[in-house]
Amino acid sequence: MVLLPPSAGGVTPWWRNRRLIPWLVQAAVGLVVLVLIAFLVGNLVANLSAAGLLLSWGWIDNPSGFDIAETLLPFDASLPYWRALLAGLVNTLRVVLAGLIGATVLGTLVGTASFSSNGLLRGLARVYVEVIRNIPLLLQLIFWYFVVFLALPDGIDAIQLPGLVLAKSGLFLGNPELVNGVWQAPLRFTVEFGALLTGLVVYTGAFIAEVVRGGIASVPRGQWEAASSLGFAPLLTLSRIVLPQALRVIVPGLNSQYISLAKNSSLAVACGFTDLYSVSETTLNQTGRAVEVMLILLGSYLVIDLVISALMNGLNGLVQLRER
Amino acid sequence: MTSPAVMIEARGVEKWYPNGFHALRGVDLSVHQGEVVVIMGPSGSGKSTFLRTFNALEDFQQGAITVDGITLSDDLGHIDAIRREVGMVFQQFNLFPHLSVLENLTLAPVLVRKLPKPAVERRALELLDRVGIAEQAHKYPGQLSGGQQQRVAIARSLCMEPRIMLFDEPTSALDPEMVQEVLEVMQGLARDGMTMVVVTHEVRFARQVAHRVVLMDAGVVVEIAPPDRFFSNPQHERSRQFLRQIG
Amino acid sequence: MAAPPPATLRPGPVQWLRRELFGSRLDGLISIALISFLLAAALGLARWALFQAQWAVISANSTLFAVGRYPLEQQWRLWLLSALLALATGLSWGLLRALPRSGPPPTLWPRNDRWAVAILVVLALWLPLALQLTLAIQLRWWASTALLLLARWAAGRWGQTLSPLARRLIPLIWPLLYLVGMVLISGGLGLVQVAPSDWGGLLLTLLMASFAILLCFPLGVLLALGRRSELPVLRWGSVLYIEFIRGAPLITLLFLGQNILGFLLPGGLAPDRVWRAAWVLTFFAAAYVAEAVRSGLAAVPSGQLEAARSLGLSMPFALIHVVLPQALRVALPTTVGQFISLLQDTTLLSLIGLLDLLGTARTVMANPAFLGRNAEVYLVLAVLFWCCCAALGLGSRALETRLNPNLAASR
Repeated sequence: MVLLPPSAGGVTPWWRNRRLIPWLVQAAVGLVVLVLIAFLVGNLVANLSAAGLLLSWGWIDNPSGFDIAETLLPFDASLPYWRALLAGLVNTLRVVLAGLIGATVLGTLVGTASFSSNGLLRGLARVYVEVIRNIPLLLQLIFWYFVVFLALPDGIDAIQLPGLVLAKSGLFLGNPELVNGVWQAPLRFTVEFGALLTGLVVYTGAFIAEVVRGGIASVPRGQWEAASSLGFAPLLTLSRIVLPQALRVIVPGLNSQYISLAKNSSLAVACGFTDLYSVSETTLNQTGRAVEVMLILLGSYLVIDLVISALMNGLNGLVQLRER
Repeated sequence: MTSPAVMIEARGVEKWYPNGFHALRGVDLSVHQGEVVVIMGPSGSGKSTFLRTFNALEDFQQGAITVDGITLSDDLGHIDAIRREVGMVFQQFNLFPHLSVLENLTLAPVLVRKLPKPAVERRALELLDRVGIAEQAHKYPGQLSGGQQQRVAIARSLCMEPRIMLFDEPTSALDPEMVQEVLEVMQGLARDGMTMVVVTHEVRFARQVAHRVVLMDAGVVVEIAPPDRFFSNPQHERSRQFLRQIG
Repeated sequence: MAAPPPATLRPGPVQWLRRELFGSRLDGLISIALISFLLAAALGLARWALFQAQWAVISANSTLFAVGRYPLEQQWRLWLLSALLALATGLSWGLLRALPRSGPPPTLWPRNDRWAVAILVVLALWLPLALQLTLAIQLRWWASTALLLLARWAAGRWGQTLSPLARRLIPLIWPLLYLVGMVLISGGLGLVQVAPSDWGGLLLTLLMASFAILLCFPLGVLLALGRRSELPVLRWGSVLYIEFIRGAPLITLLFLGQNILGFLLPGGLAPDRVWRAAWVLTFFAAAYVAEAVRSGLAAVPSGQLEAARSLGLSMPFALIHVVLPQALRVALPTTVGQFISLLQDTTLLSLIGLLDLLGTARTVMANPAFLGRNAEVYLVLAVLFWCCCAALGLGSRALETRLNPNLAASR
């Protein structure tokens, strides 16, 4: 800062020196953190060696010895652990993808319903959001699984809709047929998947509805008025004029909701759905390889989050207004 | 008769911003006790930056600044001592919105000078009376007009009993009808012998109150002169240019 | 899309119904469909609740739901704690209403307040009867509620006479109460020790939530300050921590805490599972609170810090007295939102084998005597959580209105 010598007192004492203090603070904090990490890691290594569990990856090729109830890829107990974890990851991605689509559709419908001319519709949208937001997700998932989906009738009594059959043995899409008392169909989902998906969609849909509502509300009233004075019908105004502008506010909000949904999918274990977390838990319980399994688990979710964020940031770039 | 003490002494002050912009290019200035110095200049001339170096709100890379006999250096003790003796009034008032007017005034004397609260409150009420808003003592800044807020800001700085007052475009953010009430307070301060350095565009104030006018342009001091000489017979072409611009 | 009509033209109820529900043909159809659906659902629910559901599962296990396996002979300590809680809540509530605030009083507050009291009284009278609790317990319930209302009334009546110093100290009763509560619950100071594994039900849920809420807040503020610091070590340290936590699902972190913590400490010793989970919740919530406080800090104009520093205030004083009060007011709604999430997240403890409210519920339903009574239990749990979270939300909005007239009078 200043090159001239300090005043008559002599050299600036270190504890009052404006240039030195930031470095001292950082050094102190850094030192404390490093010492703490060294302590913890040292203990970790010592304890792991004592248990014969030092960091290694060879175990991942050993046969897993457990079955996965529902998987896109073929799997059985003789296949190695890494196949099991992969199957879990695929399951997670399946439910997250379907959940994102479903929650966005539901959230957008409810969010726009808040602006309907029908008072009852507006009220219902409000009630839906307020009720869902204040009940824990886990409770909702357990409700969907145990109280709704597992209580579905089966066989002849199953709920039959055009092209869709809802039964305790699963959800059957695309021309389901009853063969020997068992339902068959080209596209089949387990009730576990169905319960998890429904729970995630209903829960996240409420939050997305709020994001959409906030986005539409952020568009100035003048836009609505200008459109109606040009003769636009309300629905057209919404889709062509208001929604594109609302997206500027909505897309960033959606980013955090999507990441939230991806993380919440880890509660699949409550529905008996074998997602990545559930498989990891079983793997850890069987092999005792806590550190390695944790790394895989945390790393996978981190990658999923980063991918979602990257995509949403790209989308954000598209919807931002080009200003002078 | 001994000449009045030098309150602020700046020699060869140079400042570069991190992006390389040379904001202050070797600026010199001496301010004596009881003097009112007005700094004027086009925007971007560095006048606010220069003012803010006096109480270490801005750094500088070369040169020396001494305030009230204390040198500005890396010594936090010096900086704190200087800030106790120097009061600053900002363009945006910067009153603390979550505290009442009275609390705005008493916060610093109680915490920094460690004075007892009742005595500070008495002094604060006197000061509020002096700037003409004693009855607003228990209101909150959000409830006052711009002119009232700026007067509170002046009283807040005065409550620390500074020996120098710095003003950074104090009336630029005010509606025209409120400018006069603030300038009158500042005039009162000058009459009472306060050492003041004021960055402003108010020509009438400079003419009536300033002892010297300093013109800055592009980081340099162009001219220093008493107001009557500066406004009627400027020596430098850039001064003439500036006076033409402000009409 | 209709805008609400100006006040002078506000129609009567019949006209309002006509306009809102049947304004156009499409609206009319939607309304009819919705009304019939809602009526059918309501009737179905009522029929189930009154005739098919067996609510005995709740009343038979009410103690289990409330305090888990806490030893019967030590439960008087919990009653003492709830009496103290009632006292503190009543005091805080009464003071919130009574203390003078500048600016015009919001008109909705007194009305909502009266509604809240009415609901409280109704609940306090009806619940013990509905749960078929013993007379002794019913009396204690009613005594606690009476204590709450009495404290609220007294605080409202005499709150104005408190000196400003006393007023600043009042919020400290909550951390103090927390410490007293910990001693009462776990033992020590002459009281019999009750191991954490015996804590359960609502007691454990509230304990975990309050522990995490109390501790995550200062940690979150420190992280937020670090995040905005110019010192690289502090800044990147905070960023790493916050982004790592935010990228991980809570269940994985809880799992991590349960499994790895033992390896991180010398000799493999580790604190009780309950405390491991409590600390994980704290560190988890701190990252989210840090983000909320960070946006609060960003909302404070830089001129505020400059003004404070130029008055001679040191950096710590300037932060504590000028910047943080303003930042926290802005960050309040989001922060309380995080607290509500935290309360909901305690349900995840049931997935790692702890007997919080949800975990206790699942053990109850595993009891052969109560097989198949899932719906009743989950419904009660849902209502309970909803009430707690909604109450927190309302409280936060009330606190916001209380704090903000000071700032908002000119806006």
